[in-house]
Amino acid sequence: MSTINRGGPLQGVRVLELTKVWAGPYVGKLLAYLGAEVIRVESEGSLDVTRTFGVDDIDNAPGWQSVNPQKLSVQVNMKSEEGIALILKLVGECDILVENLRPGAVKRLGLGYERVREANPDIIYVSMGMWGTDGPLSYQTGYAPCFAALGGVSALVGHEPGAPEGMNTRYADSTFGAAAAYAALVALLHRRRGGKGQFVDVSAVEAMSSMIGDSIMDYALNGVVAECGGNRHPEMAPHGVYPARGGEWVSIAAANGKQWAGLAECMGKPELGKDPRFATLDDRKANEDELDEIVTAWTSGCCPMELVTKLQKRGVSAAKSQSSLDLIADPHLWVREFYRDVTDPDGNSKPTLGPSWNMSRPAQLGAAAPRLGQHNDYVLGDILGLSTEERESLYAAGVTR
Amino acid sequence: MSALAGTRILELAEGVGGEYCGKLLADFGADVVKLERAGVGSPTRRLGPFAPGGEDPERSGLFAYLNTNKYSVEVDLDSAAGREALRALLGKVDVVIDDHEPGWLAERGLDPETLERDWPSLVVCSITPFGADLPEDRLHAQDINVFHSSGWGYHTPSAPDASQAPLNAAGRFLPSFESGMEGALCIAASLYERDANQLGRFIDISMQQVLTSRCDYVVAQMVAGEMAVGNERTAYDLAGPAGIFPCRDGYAYIWMSTPQHWDAVRQLLDDNAWMDEFPENWLERGCTPERVALCRKHIAAWLLTQDKHEVAAQAQKIGLTLVAVNNGRDLQESPQYQHRGFFAEVDHPVQGRALYPTVPYRLSETPAQITRPAPLLGEHTAQHLDANVVPVKQGGAA
Repeated sequence: MSTINRGGPLQGVRVLELTKVWAGPYVGKLLAYLGAEVIRVESEGSLDVTRTFGVDDIDNAPGWQSVNPQKLSVQVNMKSEEGIALILKLVGECDILVENLRPGAVKRLGLGYERVREANPDIIYVSMGMWGTDGPLSYQTGYAPCFAALGGVSALVGHEPGAPEGMNTRYADSTFGAAAAYAALVALLHRRRGGKGQFVDVSAVEAMSSMIGDSIMDYALNGVVAECGGNRHPEMAPHGVYPARGGEWVSIAAANGKQWAGLAECMGKPELGKDPRFATLDDRKANEDELDEIVTAWTSGCCPMELVTKLQKRGVSAAKSQSSLDLIADPHLWVREFYRDVTDPDGNSKPTLGPSWNMSRPAQLGAAAPRLGQHNDYVLGDILGLSTEERESLYAAGVTR
Repeated sequence: MSALAGTRILELAEGVGGEYCGKLLADFGADVVKLERAGVGSPTRRLGPFAPGGEDPERSGLFAYLNTNKYSVEVDLDSAAGREALRALLGKVDVVIDDHEPGWLAERGLDPETLERDWPSLVVCSITPFGADLPEDRLHAQDINVFHSSGWGYHTPSAPDASQAPLNAAGRFLPSFESGMEGALCIAASLYERDANQLGRFIDISMQQVLTSRCDYVVAQMVAGEMAVGNERTAYDLAGPAGIFPCRDGYAYIWMSTPQHWDAVRQLLDDNAWMDEFPENWLERGCTPERVALCRKHIAAWLLTQDKHEVAAQAQKIGLTLVAVNNGRDLQESPQYQHRGFFAEVDHPVQGRALYPTVPYRLSETPAQITRPAPLLGEHTAQHLDANVVPVKQGGAA
């Protein structure tokens, strides 16, 4: 339905976001990066916390900027009946609606699926909840680390068996968002192929379980409850994160016998490749403590990038464990234009993250996240066809700002 | 009804990322033909967990999970007949999924340039650790290397003990699952356009970028110069007493960030006199290390006397974000998962019946469904290849 031409596979698709914080906005970001026109409906009385957290200028909040490039913002007062009516009118001009408000909140606003479907029977309505929209536990709420804990992810991360420490606390929201974005596009394809609009109910906890499907299969087939246990791998050894010079770390994995022989050569101990203690994977697994000690003795005190270069030359899987400093300086990510400039509404250019993909005929990206209500005129005038007078009267009545 | 019925996909992938990508599409009804190495099959057939009865290629639970609803065709792609078979199949499909190392597709005439000339309406998705153009120091990578190059590894777990190594992601294949899902997303988007104009597309997915994108909220602030970067392993962390604590029967995770959470804790703890020393809004405005440590000490002592599911239900009812740290058994026993049907019974001809985890979305009109178990090696060869190119079965490793 969109008329703005940026190219990309989703050129012409229009998405309405009733979202907060990270998971919901991430859906819109992925779709915008694929070429969709994504409109965030914002309400001054209930701003996204990422616009206000720790900053004075809601239009330059760094967290907000990170997850909302290339989107449009329309400001509508969601506490007024006229505001809700306006949003329902806008829904009539959209293909996909995404919401991740607290359980029950969209219904209380008068924007639940039944109501929205009356306004647009073709709409693809994507509802995101920690546990999905229904079920005995759907009343529960939580943040990203709760999703990871409930979905079985946290239990698998820890140094010692039976003592889970969990992934970094930031993990989960965006994975949840990516799952929702994929499901939304499948529904959109179905509609294009002659099907109807539909309700898409996405669960954050299930998104987490989907990232460890192989571990869950072990319980399904054998009744084995997978546990954490450091950095080891049942099918590779050595496999771990080893200390290098100056508090830095390097990840090394000998994927097969050839890589193990290459690693032994790098260590200056080619004889280890044939040592009966380490000859086969089973041998290396049986003597893994000893094996890890040998590797650690070699890596400790070495420059991590020299280790990686040496290992890669011998065909061994290795990469530096990148700190935030390393990550931002990673030349490969600059060369691939993963880090790229966008332009903010004041005309200032600044770098942000691009998409994870390169593709032929990509969508053009260039706009930073919008100011609050920056696109009111476009959305209310160009899309909804409201006259200047009508827009002024809505503004005067406090329905829009 | 199936959303992707009629979409024809050729899966050249032999790793977890590409196979998961194919599964996500197959479970929505796409016809996914999986090419497998003659005689030995996909390498994922040799990875566990294995169903009881021995580690043979038809007993890999990993393969069974990743390849539901697909067709298996055995081909020796290095033979002339195999190359001919590939060409014939390419002319019949809409999408190709691959996850071999960069260069592998080009050797088979599926690089972006040749593709545009010879197969202009094919959507080809390539999933690789660092993308198609590689510097020399990134030629070899497993999931752990991708995870640690993405920034997640160095910062896992949160609040680390500095004397211990940073950790790998959960399970063996989290980076592959993430990237397979990203591939499915890009393929679905490309099919949407292709339905209108018949144009194909080459999609080059970097697993490193997928994972780094998954922390965009933090990393984009760092790239923009709005958040400090450095060598601290806590650079992604949030301050506060949140964390995993042992309970009587396992572990629970508690999150506290607001005065409401604090009030709920007061209601739940009998021994709460220590809380009087804390300002009501300390979580927002006075989160000192001393207070965090004292708070964690008391929470830890309390949770040791509690059962994880019961205490979570109690806490959630009064607005405290406390949840159980679930394991594989908890998931299968979860009343919520049972209600939503997250596990589906699949009857595999060799492995028997088992409850497979499914997908995290419910579509009202076109739900994902497992209608067939993963194929046996070469089960559909005759059906999809002309008799003259059916490969002779060979034993031994490829």
